[in-house]
Amino acid sequence: MDEEPERTKRWEGGYERTWEVLKEDESGSLKATVDDILFQAKRKRVFESHGQVRLGMMRHLFVVVDTSRTMEDQDLKPNRLTSTLKLMEYFVEEYFDQNPISQIGIITTKNKRAERLTDLAGNPKKHIAALKKAVDSTCIGEPSLYNSLHMAMQTLKHMPAHTSKEILIVFSSLTTCDPANIYELIETIKGLKIRVSVIGLSAEVRVCTILTRETGGSYNVILDEGHFKELLMLHVKPPPASSSSECSLIRMGFPQHVIASMSDQDAKPSFSMSHLESTSGGPELTLGGYYCPQCRGKYTELPVECKVCGLTLVSAPHLARSFHHLFPLDAFQETPLEEYEGEKFCEACQGELKDKRIFTCPTCKKVFCIECDLFVHDTLHCCPGCMHTDGTS
Amino acid sequence: MESEDEINILVIVIDVNPIWWGQQAQREPKFTLSKCLDAVMVLANSHMVMARTNKLAIIASLYQESHFLYPSKNWKSGDDIASSGDGKYELLSVANDLFAEQIKKLIDRSKPFLVNNNLQTAIFINFSLSDINRVSKEVDAGQDMKSRILVIKAAEDCTLQYMNFMNVVFAAQKKNVLMDACMLDIDSGLLQQACDITGGLYLKIPQKIALAQYLLWVFLPDADQRSHLLLPPPVHVDYRAACFCHRNLIEIGYVCSVCLSIFCNFSPICTTCETAFKMPLPQMAKTKKKKVKTVN
Repeated sequence: MDEEPERTKRWEGGYERTWEVLKEDESGSLKATVDDILFQAKRKRVFESHGQVRLGMMRHLFVVVDTSRTMEDQDLKPNRLTSTLKLMEYFVEEYFDQNPISQIGIITTKNKRAERLTDLAGNPKKHIAALKKAVDSTCIGEPSLYNSLHMAMQTLKHMPAHTSKEILIVFSSLTTCDPANIYELIETIKGLKIRVSVIGLSAEVRVCTILTRETGGSYNVILDEGHFKELLMLHVKPPPASSSSECSLIRMGFPQHVIASMSDQDAKPSFSMSHLESTSGGPELTLGGYYCPQCRGKYTELPVECKVCGLTLVSAPHLARSFHHLFPLDAFQETPLEEYEGEKFCEACQGELKDKRIFTCPTCKKVFCIECDLFVHDTLHCCPGCMHTDGTS
Repeated sequence: MESEDEINILVIVIDVNPIWWGQQAQREPKFTLSKCLDAVMVLANSHMVMARTNKLAIIASLYQESHFLYPSKNWKSGDDIASSGDGKYELLSVANDLFAEQIKKLIDRSKPFLVNNNLQTAIFINFSLSDINRVSKEVDAGQDMKSRILVIKAAEDCTLQYMNFMNVVFAAQKKNVLMDACMLDIDSGLLQQACDITGGLYLKIPQKIALAQYLLWVFLPDADQRSHLLLPPPVHVDYRAACFCHRNLIEIGYVCSVCLSIFCNFSPICTTCETAFKMPLPQMAKTKKKKVKTVN
């Protein structure tokens, strides 16, 4: 980033002469331009059409959250820590929604130490509970980039080669306290093919720039809370896999859900294997559950790695949920409403087309309103018009 | 009870596949399409009189097409509500008239020589979701909105659109839309999964003639009220995957790390994305390493 021309650092440029955007129409009203700006903001979306790029579908991600003294700054409301943890909760939810067979782990760093908040695991509930608890923690001392990277690396280096290994650092401080030469550690991390990305809350720091450049990650500094969220969400989508990553067939189990009711004579309550190691709260006896097809160990939730035989247990919908990354929907073409001739109804919601712009699917040529366009691309991932034509063919 | 601001949306999707209904009429003359539509209308009216803010949409699915029966494209609220003068809630008569009128139009228009019996549920749920999405954008801030989709279906599943169907179900889950299914004839594996994922109810009714009663007792209450009721027990959902090579349902399979295809046997090359895999030898090394790690 430091080699880039001076121009890009002038982020203030975006705020110069902001009034010039506004234009009055014949009646002297600003409504048209304001509507237009709102419309543009709605439409703002990152269209990263990967095409035929191999994606790292199975991700192992460590999130390092800085909880040093600087996190008490109040430039994000109410303070940096609360705001960050709130966004992290949302991030964890979105992450598992989009990457159901991936894992995440959380590390915090303060007072020159790194602390493991949660281990790598595939269950969002545990992480969110830990994040909620962390809000009350005090922010003291300096963070240690070296210690947290080292801790994350210790776990990630044992992960199988076909997974995508990533570290995401939310870094608030401008300083770091390291026990050894961090550049040597960066070399090691690079050798292990771990991708490190950093989101800075204060300003650009040179060591982070080098860290992300060497390991192939991204480095961004936030402007405000909205931008922060946007940057975090960029890390939700699976990243393109590096060409050198291995591919393998992974053995997985698809356990059946056995439901037993209290009235059933044969039903015996049993412990879930995932509760064996949990310290908080006693294990609960439950009736039904998912039974590992290999060793008959019982689990109450999927996806999970069997504690007994090490088999990865998933359900078919989990895999199906990842498919839309592999077959992304093409962007719709945007055209003004005046140019469109035909029935002025949106194909999806059957509502009347009122906005100035309409969207046409390049495959089935059906038209959509902006709301449905956003809905189709962000949530649905398949075009309603194309589904019709597929059916008849 | 419910607050005034809460909006409850119910989208009913009915399968009006004439082939199935034609056969049904011959098998069981007591339960015909018109009986079924009557029952649906009873449910629709009951839903609308439950609260002033309740909203309704009815979609009929015919072959690969779907039609909004209510609200119709050309009718806008407050247009011309012909009050019948007998003290009936105007919205009800409007809904009923529209419903009857549209379904007549639909049946008249349908071409009887199409033989495709498969109903593509995904499309209709897709429409319902888009509609719910549109309404949710119109809702004022501070208003609560709950929505659910009820699928009344008789025909068989169409497995061609598994991917689309799953996409739609996950979209529903994300939007907190409940999906209920009321099966008239045969069980549907896809809808069982959909109901389980979104937390809705799945019911294959034992007696078709009592459809209206089932609809009112089981599907009229919303999610909150359901916890107080003694409802039919959840069904056993089969989440086993089918392998891409033989279409067998498997319990243990091999998944390609690149394209997530599922195979029942180890093969050195993925048939879907043509990736060459490493032989499973490293897998052994991996498990050993894991053991070492846990000892530490």
